[in-house]
Amino acid sequence: MIRFRKAHTGTAESAILENLDALYGFAMSLTRNPTDAEDLVQEACLRAIKGLAHNGIRSNPKVWLFTILRNVWINEWRRRASGPEFIFLEKARAEGGPLHECLSDERERPEDWLERNMASGRLRSALSGLPAAFREVVVLRYFEGFSYREIATILGCPAGTVMSRLNRARAELRSMLDEENTSLILRRKRGSG
Amino acid sequence: MDKHIFEQIPLYLDDELQEGERLAVETHVKGCHDCRAALDRERELIAAIRRARPLYSAPETLRGRVTRLLRQSNPPERFGSYRALIAASAFLVLASAGWWLSAATLFSKDRPSLVNVAVDHHVRYLQGRLPLEVFSDSPEAISAWFAGKLRFNFRLPDYPQGPKPYHVEGARLVGFKDDYAAYVVYRLNGHPISLLVTSNAVAQPSGGEEIPWEGLRFHFQSVAGWKVLTWSDDGLTYALVSNLEERGQASCVVCHQDERVFRGLHSSREPM
Repeated sequence: MIRFRKAHTGTAESAILENLDALYGFAMSLTRNPTDAEDLVQEACLRAIKGLAHNGIRSNPKVWLFTILRNVWINEWRRRASGPEFIFLEKARAEGGPLHECLSDERERPEDWLERNMASGRLRSALSGLPAAFREVVVLRYFEGFSYREIATILGCPAGTVMSRLNRARAELRSMLDEENTSLILRRKRGSG
Repeated sequence: MDKHIFEQIPLYLDDELQEGERLAVETHVKGCHDCRAALDRERELIAAIRRARPLYSAPETLRGRVTRLLRQSNPPERFGSYRALIAASAFLVLASAGWWLSAATLFSKDRPSLVNVAVDHHVRYLQGRLPLEVFSDSPEAISAWFAGKLRFNFRLPDYPQGPKPYHVEGARLVGFKDDYAAYVVYRLNGHPISLLVTSNAVAQPSGGEEIPWEGLRFHFQSVAGWKVLTWSDDGLTYALVSNLEERGQASCVVCHQDERVFRGLHSSREPM
């Protein structure tokens, strides 16, 4: 069994620091607030360091760290986190996320860029409207690339539950986007009429 | 429409089906308009979700807080001279025992597979327990360092020409079966990737899911959460270990940055 032990140089550093951006992203999706996300990641890292001393890490360190962060959130943090501010788009803009990448792509026409980012913005908005249980499986699967089995480990549930939540999450997202598209078309028709 | 196939479409797109099941879906959708349309719709939605991924960077304040936590958790230990002597003696005894155990393992008949050795080396490298012997971001310099040290002819690829999305970090020799193998570390978008190379007379790619492409047969498997690709080409056998997304195809960019080649490999595993 592969195990990480505190006694080995660089153990905690490599596991935690390499996954810090991903952990912060996941914490943002849970807390929806940068200050809470920072505090949550710090608390999770503290637990990870303590756990490392006693048990070591089994299997993939990223799965292990996400599991700790999610447990801290569920067991202790959720009830004291602040309001439901969801700032995916703004944060991505501020930190050189996808919008910045789009701007730097010289081959893309401005109207295509606008269209694409409006679509991404609508999707992020729809994602923020999902129930937390659906949102987190979407984030873990499509943003972080975890397999169903890895997500099941992180959430502490059967892989079948992950599958059904993902199905429902995708259905919800599609429904929200379809509604959004319909109202957009109606607004355009009214505007041109 | 086949209800069973229809229900498997999300699993197919999420790469959660076995090869036989994947083939069944692919065969069915070729002749079923409704399932094909459902597949396209789902794939479009998933691609849109991925495109909307916000790329976060942990703020510097958080990075500083975590770094301080890590530093506090590893305070420098202070030994008196007597305790230091005991510790040093114990270390020598353990090191000797370790050497004998390693030698016994290396030359025993019950040898670990290439995949397990590759994963073990990758983890040990991440733990800081597998120091590299040569550090360079130049594939030529790494190849030159290996010259004369291995029983097989090994040269690192150096393409595409121009900027690459990855870089070589360094390399070392590692023991494998009765010989040395080449161990090379790359980094792609901050993710370390390990490449273990030996002669195909010593090890063959095996296990996991077989992915034929362009005359080569890639074997994909997940070991303890790590994505491992093994294949043989031109007399050598390779094992690539990463924690990259999907099936680790992204790690193929290390050698197949050429868009045409990479797309070909990628599309062979991508949903239809």
